[in-house]
Amino acid sequence: MKSKKLSEAIIKTFKSNGFVLSEPDVLLDSDYIIERSGEKFRSSMLTFEREDGKTMCLRPDLTVASCISFLQKKSTSKIYYSGQAYRRSGDKGTNFINDQLGIEILGSKNLVQDDLKVISTILSSAKKIKMKKIKIKVGDISLFKDLINSLDMPERWKLRLIRHFWRPSYFEELLKRLEKNTDIDAVTFDADKKRFYEMKKIYQGKEIAGRSISEILKRFEKKIKDPRSFADGKKIVKIVKTFLKINCKLSELDEKLLNFAKKNNLKKNIFKNLKSIQNLKKLNQNINFVTNFGRDVEYYTGIVFEVFSGTKEIASGGRYDDLLKSLGAKKNIPAVGAAINLKNI
Amino acid sequence: MRDLITIGLPSKGRLKDKSISFFNDNGLRIIQSEKERNYFGTIENNSNIKIIFLHAKEIIQRLGDGTLDIGVSGLDLLKESDKNLQGKINIQKKLNYGNANLVIAVPDDWIDVQTIADLEEVSFDIRFKRNGRLRVATKYPNLTNDFLISKGVTQYKLIPSLGATETYPFIGSSEIITDITSTGKTLADNNLRVLKDGLILSSRACLFIAKKKAAKLQPFLKSLGR
Repeated sequence: MKSKKLSEAIIKTFKSNGFVLSEPDVLLDSDYIIERSGEKFRSSMLTFEREDGKTMCLRPDLTVASCISFLQKKSTSKIYYSGQAYRRSGDKGTNFINDQLGIEILGSKNLVQDDLKVISTILSSAKKIKMKKIKIKVGDISLFKDLINSLDMPERWKLRLIRHFWRPSYFEELLKRLEKNTDIDAVTFDADKKRFYEMKKIYQGKEIAGRSISEILKRFEKKIKDPRSFADGKKIVKIVKTFLKINCKLSELDEKLLNFAKKNNLKKNIFKNLKSIQNLKKLNQNINFVTNFGRDVEYYTGIVFEVFSGTKEIASGGRYDDLLKSLGAKKNIPAVGAAINLKNI
Repeated sequence: MRDLITIGLPSKGRLKDKSISFFNDNGLRIIQSEKERNYFGTIENNSNIKIIFLHAKEIIQRLGDGTLDIGVSGLDLLKESDKNLQGKINIQKKLNYGNANLVIAVPDDWIDVQTIADLEEVSFDIRFKRNGRLRVATKYPNLTNDFLISKGVTQYKLIPSLGATETYPFIGSSEIITDITSTGKTLADNNLRVLKDGLILSSRACLFIAKKKAAKLQPFLKSLGR
């Protein structure tokens, strides 16, 4: 089949599964995106300055653009998109234009059901275009969080490891520091103690460069009570590394996790959120579970998956419960979605 | 005139004076125009060399486009320039003046912030409490970006600054800054403090050459003692 026909066939499946076309704006306010998603996006965005001085960019990604459009109430919650996204990549000679085709459930109320819905829709569209030898790889970012939170280490280290899980190379660096306990730590509190007492006496609401005195002093005290250095780093790194090696058939997952907990003297019930993963058994597919997976996209928070045809990855996706809030939603709006990898079909 | 060599030197301040001394010390006496504000100079008894006095940033640009063959400027300015431009310029020699550090500085009274790791934590506080980003004012967006990301700080936004960056945290334009400093006095006088691991780049004056001209310049560079 020609690629246009393939897209049409896939879209048909999306529609019959209840997904409605979303047509997000092509031009977006680039400051809005940077304000909410951080500076690292800037270099990949294609921007220009409008006459009134506002910097605009071409939509760098259709998931993000669709979320923005949803927040402006321009779309319903169960959507599909089909169109071009525009961004630079570090590699020379790569195309600025990416054709993207995917589905999202924004404001996903039933986690277990919606995760399955997204994956099953992707699977039926893959079958519709006669993809053979389909395999699925799944992981769940929240399991890593559960593990870290169950370990005995300073709160600040936990947060750091969780925050940087999606950046594997920096994460490795953190593990090394944790292992050797070589993190630079501000032990030189003495010099600042004097200032600490002085600051306690001034008006606590006073702001210094955007932070109130009370906020600064609170964190200072917390830091003294909860230093970053501690003795058990080596043991914890070993547990984390063992966890990240788990790779098994979905049917063996329970047993694997139980064994892992047992061997490392952890409680049996630390992995609470296996329902959505277990529910995938209903798909009756060849599914592999991998812990060290889905770590290249910052916004994934739960289930992550890739669908293969033979060795080719034809689709990928996951749950991202925090993205809409970070894009400006007033409350948490859980979401899950997936995109077809058009290059590989 | 095929052998004419064009050299760009900083047009202002200590960097200008020291650069002129550097050439003098190597037996190349620079003669400046008698007109006080003229931008051109020559070298005594050497009609093949043309000197142009330019802004230090401009020197990097002109080395890149081939207007200049040789130039003296700061390592910081080369490293800040875009990668494409950097590929066209060689560092011939690091000179022993113009030393300055590009650093991350925070307000003195942020007593809880001593290291980049602290900064990373605070940037997340700012994100979760205000759904905003830690703002970093800088004249060096590229170097600052690369450094912060390599150190695991991701939740920030750069605020480009052209000058008096030290004031930004106290007038509501940013929370912290990165800036170039040689003695640290301007930072200290403005109630700012360098983070313990906040050194982004150790800079100094350098003799740069345009890569394309390297072969043609060999005889001259030899006479300069290299």
